[in-house]
Amino acid sequence: MAEYKLLTQHIDVPDFYQMQVYESLGGYLGLKKAVEMERQEVIDEIKKSGLRGRGGAGFPAWIKWNGIPKDTSKPHYVICNSDEGEPGTFKDWELMHKAPHQLVEGMIIAGYATLAKAGYIYIRGEYVECAQRVRHAIDQAYEAGYLGKNILGKGFDYDLYVHMGAGSYECGEESALMSSLMGERGQPRLKFPHAPLPTIAGVWNCPTLINNCETLSVAPHVINNGGEWYAQIGASTKNSRGTKLFSVSGHVNKPGNYEIEFGTSLMELIELAGGVSGGALKAIIPGGSSMPILPADQCQDAILGYEELMEKGTMVGSGGCMVLNEHSCIVTFAWRTAEFYAHESCGKCTPCREGTRWMVQILERILQGKGRPEDIELLLEVCDQIDGRSFCALGDAAAWPVRGMIKQFRNEFEYFIEHGKSIVADRPEWQRMAPPKHYERYNPMRYDYTYGIERALAGKG
Amino acid sequence: MDRNVELIRITERPKPPRPEEIPLRFSETAVQELDALVSHYPDKKSALLPALWLAQREYGGVLTPEAIAEVALRLERSYAEVEGVATFYTMYNKQQMGKFMLEVCTNLSCMLCGSYRLLEYLEEKLGIRLGETTPDGLFTLTEVECLNNCGDAPVMQVGDVYCRKMSVEKMDALIDQLRGSDEHSVTRLADAIVNIQLSAADKARIASEHE
Repeated sequence: MAEYKLLTQHIDVPDFYQMQVYESLGGYLGLKKAVEMERQEVIDEIKKSGLRGRGGAGFPAWIKWNGIPKDTSKPHYVICNSDEGEPGTFKDWELMHKAPHQLVEGMIIAGYATLAKAGYIYIRGEYVECAQRVRHAIDQAYEAGYLGKNILGKGFDYDLYVHMGAGSYECGEESALMSSLMGERGQPRLKFPHAPLPTIAGVWNCPTLINNCETLSVAPHVINNGGEWYAQIGASTKNSRGTKLFSVSGHVNKPGNYEIEFGTSLMELIELAGGVSGGALKAIIPGGSSMPILPADQCQDAILGYEELMEKGTMVGSGGCMVLNEHSCIVTFAWRTAEFYAHESCGKCTPCREGTRWMVQILERILQGKGRPEDIELLLEVCDQIDGRSFCALGDAAAWPVRGMIKQFRNEFEYFIEHGKSIVADRPEWQRMAPPKHYERYNPMRYDYTYGIERALAGKG
Repeated sequence: MDRNVELIRITERPKPPRPEEIPLRFSETAVQELDALVSHYPDKKSALLPALWLAQREYGGVLTPEAIAEVALRLERSYAEVEGVATFYTMYNKQQMGKFMLEVCTNLSCMLCGSYRLLEYLEEKLGIRLGETTPDGLFTLTEVECLNNCGDAPVMQVGDVYCRKMSVEKMDALIDQLRGSDEHSVTRLADAIVNIQLSAADKARIASEHE
């Protein structure tokens, strides 16, 4: 099975980010068709398409669209979540950089269907290059009359704004993103059933539709070709429809974004990306760093689909597929993953804030060759204490990969603890990747509060 | 001075200046830009992130206590609230950085592609440790979490530009190129971000008010 190019069909056409080129290749036809339809019909098409959220959770998109109240006693908002931060993922970057009009069109369709007053595209602060393209696309859309007052003569007013983040992974979580949009620290809020859904009381306490960049980019294609047509793609899977962009990185020959139909096998995706480089396959993380790892033997028959990967004990997630060859050290990989979550934990809830730091410190102890045999059980216990007990999914996302790596590669952890060095420590390939010896993160906000300050006060540096 | 003691000093909480004590430093254009940004949201508070980007540009790449106080004053929020937001996000600088911030990604995919070796090479080449600035104030070397261009790993960010598929040779060329450049990468990034958030109509209005 080859690539199935829907979102990325024209992505390599020169100047596709310009309005003229986009329109000449069928752009904005979906919007023109949508405004001729009743609003509920648009939502029904999305329902028929079986489109599920592409940001990680796979929540059916139409439920969110349909959940927005049908009256406008309060203003409605649409938010595009382009705060792409999941290590291994770069699909939104490509979609915004090369096809910004597709996203803008999707945002307008979503705004029309949900009677929205305005839309906000939340882009992470680092993504300057592609945010400039999105800005350009919005300006062109205003000029062409697709945005602003009385869009396409249908009496529908809609404005689109870009909001730039400032470097926080946590803001990719929807309630934290809304906090950030309201000018607060990017910390998550209480969620359903303890608080109303965002579709009832989201940003500024108004009904809010919040979708991932890729989900919204699909909307024009669903409206243009019909929901039933879209639902045929990937019909071999249980409940995953359409195409998905997978960002393949790590030890592959041709890293990049590959759009495939759901139901394609994981190994076919790796073949598309040019196969494993630098040695035999050791493991694949199919859905971004938050998802449990799959060792090579389990990758062979893995099928890409929400339920299909769930059966394998991992998830589609955001589609950040990272490939590790045989020279990679899983213990170091686990440490770097934990390190990431400890850095990005927002500090709101105790299990995540403290648990992630303890995980890093235990793993650091193992890396320094001072690991204790009981450390593996201790790590698993910390994972259990975080998983399901944290305020938002960041805690789960920190616990799953470490637990998965211990489950699948326990022998490597045991070897490291017993010998004080990695199972691949002597290989030159690994030495090219390994973090420096006695490596210490410079940020004083990290661990120094547990031991660094005391050490500093004792004058030992 | 002991490095850790120095780090603690840097992170010591600054005393909030009183509003009447601070000289306001936002230029006329910046004030108009702030007005335009505030108009994008239903309330003033929501413009806090864009306003901090503006302040970072106006104050030369660092959010000093005065910068935070000015943002608080202009958005009618308390100093503590603005400081709380400014310290939460990693891209707002709380201390003076070098002219060029070299931010090397060492997250998973970049690590697999050898970014730690590049980091060591840069430390040796520039003669500084991670998190430090060169004595001439040109380069600050930092490590960042995933920049999400893992397909082109190893990646590093200098201001508003991503440098992809980095190697030792490319690093040498980049450093040489930066040494001859007049740009200030930190303020350049802040300026780019402010301009992205302003629509063409906003920019036209600001330009016409200047004439």
